[in-house]
Amino acid sequence: MKAFLLHNMRQFGTLIGLLVLCIVLWILTPHFLTVANLLNITQQTSINAVIAVGMTFVIITAGIDLSVGSIMAFAGVVLASAIEAGVPVPIALLIGLGVGMACGLINGVLISWGKLPPFISTLGMMSVARGAALLYTQGRPISGFSGDFRFLASGEILGIPNPVIIMIAVYLIAHFVLTRTKLGRYTYAIGGNEEASILSGINVRYYKTIVYGLCGMLSGLAAIILTARLNSAQPIAGIMYELDAIAATVIGGTSLMGGEGRIGGTLIGALIMGVLRNGLNLLGVSSFIQQTVIGSVIIIAVLIDMALKKQKS
Amino acid sequence: MRQVLYICLILVTMLAAAGCQRGEKNSESRPTVALVMKTLNNPFFIDMQAGAESIADSMGINLLVQAAEREIDVEKQMQIIENLIQIKVDVICLTPSGAREIIPAIVKANKADIPVIIVDSRIDSALLAEAGGRIESFIGSDNFDGGRIAGEYIISKLSGAGHVAILEGIPGHETGDMRLAGFHKALESAPGIRVLSSQTANWERDQGFNVFQNMLQSYPDIRALFSCNDMMALGAIEAIAAAGKTDDIIVVGFDAVEDAREAIRQGTLAASVAQHPFEMGKLAIISARSLIDGRDIPAFLPVKIDLITVSNVGPARQ
Repeated sequence: MKAFLLHNMRQFGTLIGLLVLCIVLWILTPHFLTVANLLNITQQTSINAVIAVGMTFVIITAGIDLSVGSIMAFAGVVLASAIEAGVPVPIALLIGLGVGMACGLINGVLISWGKLPPFISTLGMMSVARGAALLYTQGRPISGFSGDFRFLASGEILGIPNPVIIMIAVYLIAHFVLTRTKLGRYTYAIGGNEEASILSGINVRYYKTIVYGLCGMLSGLAAIILTARLNSAQPIAGIMYELDAIAATVIGGTSLMGGEGRIGGTLIGALIMGVLRNGLNLLGVSSFIQQTVIGSVIIIAVLIDMALKKQKS
Repeated sequence: MRQVLYICLILVTMLAAAGCQRGEKNSESRPTVALVMKTLNNPFFIDMQAGAESIADSMGINLLVQAAEREIDVEKQMQIIENLIQIKVDVICLTPSGAREIIPAIVKANKADIPVIIVDSRIDSALLAEAGGRIESFIGSDNFDGGRIAGEYIISKLSGAGHVAILEGIPGHETGDMRLAGFHKALESAPGIRVLSSQTANWERDQGFNVFQNMLQSYPDIRALFSCNDMMALGAIEAIAAAGKTDDIIVVGFDAVEDAREAIRQGTLAASVAQHPFEMGKLAIISARSLIDGRDIPAFLPVKIDLITVSNVGPARQ
């Protein structure tokens, strides 16, 4: 039991943080702990949470992906134009995922075979995808879709909004992939020690490329949720979303050094950010203070994480 | 483990402190009106907030001001509205970050029986009707008109002939697009005016400097510049000064922020189109009060728009 606790300490650290946050907000405002508001928060968190899954994979390989926000915008406008052109919704969704994945795979190839540092490659892609989105739409948002498509964000199953269901499904699958498959094990191995991974016969280039492709595809999925939610795809959507995703991942205990991290932690990280934003809105706190508080929480979360790590060793 | 406790303690204190600064919210009998703006990182919206605050108390209204961090982040603005619906504010006054994107949020407010007043930027009324949403009123001035006024000023200054350049806002941004369209509309009446170059500087001062410097390289005979906001215009006048052409190029900005007024006094900026955000904020609160009292309000409440030049800029604000 003790070993189990110690082993999962970091997870519990962030979970305790989330619970403390919820309790404080519950005391401060009567509007926080209602079913409607909790659904509201999970729905608002879903986009960042989905992007953060890809980010977690990438960061575990000791990489970084700065292009997720731009890829989301690009995938969103391509998807939207496909729907507008009368492409059936399921195929349009595949196109959206495909565009995201293609951008991610390009990142992966540049990093693996072009030997570019992930920071540079994805920084470039951030600009390229943004430009592509603007060029593709001539800067105009594409809006007004059929109910079928909007149902993806506005509909609900058994009272749970669809974006939340999508988010949960993504986390379950990602958890499975990361803990039970070869891809997951190699993701950790590459981040832990890339040289050793190569020497032990892992096709590092191939798996890294897959990880970036996956991250891009999840940005495409986030684009689907965002476009359905706003009933519009904007070429300027998602600016700075990469930082939210990185923050969720880091709050969730994934090390920027690579080699360690858990998908469940990322979900808690994303929820902490969502709960904070929601709570500060409910309290009517000035927007200036909100940014300061959110920033401080990121720092505090990492401090907690480091304190726990020290204790463990 | 002790460290963790300490850190949690700091977190709690911080949140509690943040919670306290929301002011006397316990005056429950007063109706709450939320003013949701695009951002607070822009003097225009600070003025709007000041206008709303100047009158909220005397109207017996509990004012809640919220804004997204970035002007273009519609998703965050939507989250704010969803959250305000949770606390059941009485009226939402909104400066929409996206003319179409924000419509689902308006529909949600409608469903919760919270009336919505739109301030400053229009929303797409056809799409709103299609989505089954409604707004009570639009309070604002016409960006199209502002662009037209700027165009007419430049035409008269150039006596109807000459080369002009344009600095655009972020593409796809309703406000900038309308200003641009209004400007082009005015130019239709002056065939002697030629637009040599029209590029975006993304609303930003430093980009205004760089983009206009590049324009001057390619087209040294530019005689006038229309910039879709003051920030870009202020950047551009620095580029003009660096090229030693301050007296040769007429620059017209938009928004008449304090820095721009100062530049007008100094003669580096010729004019700036002024909207009156303070007035908008005030009118928003007055309209909200009327709604709460069950009175009808007009579907469109125009706020004046005019051109500030050296003749009407007035002395510096103390």
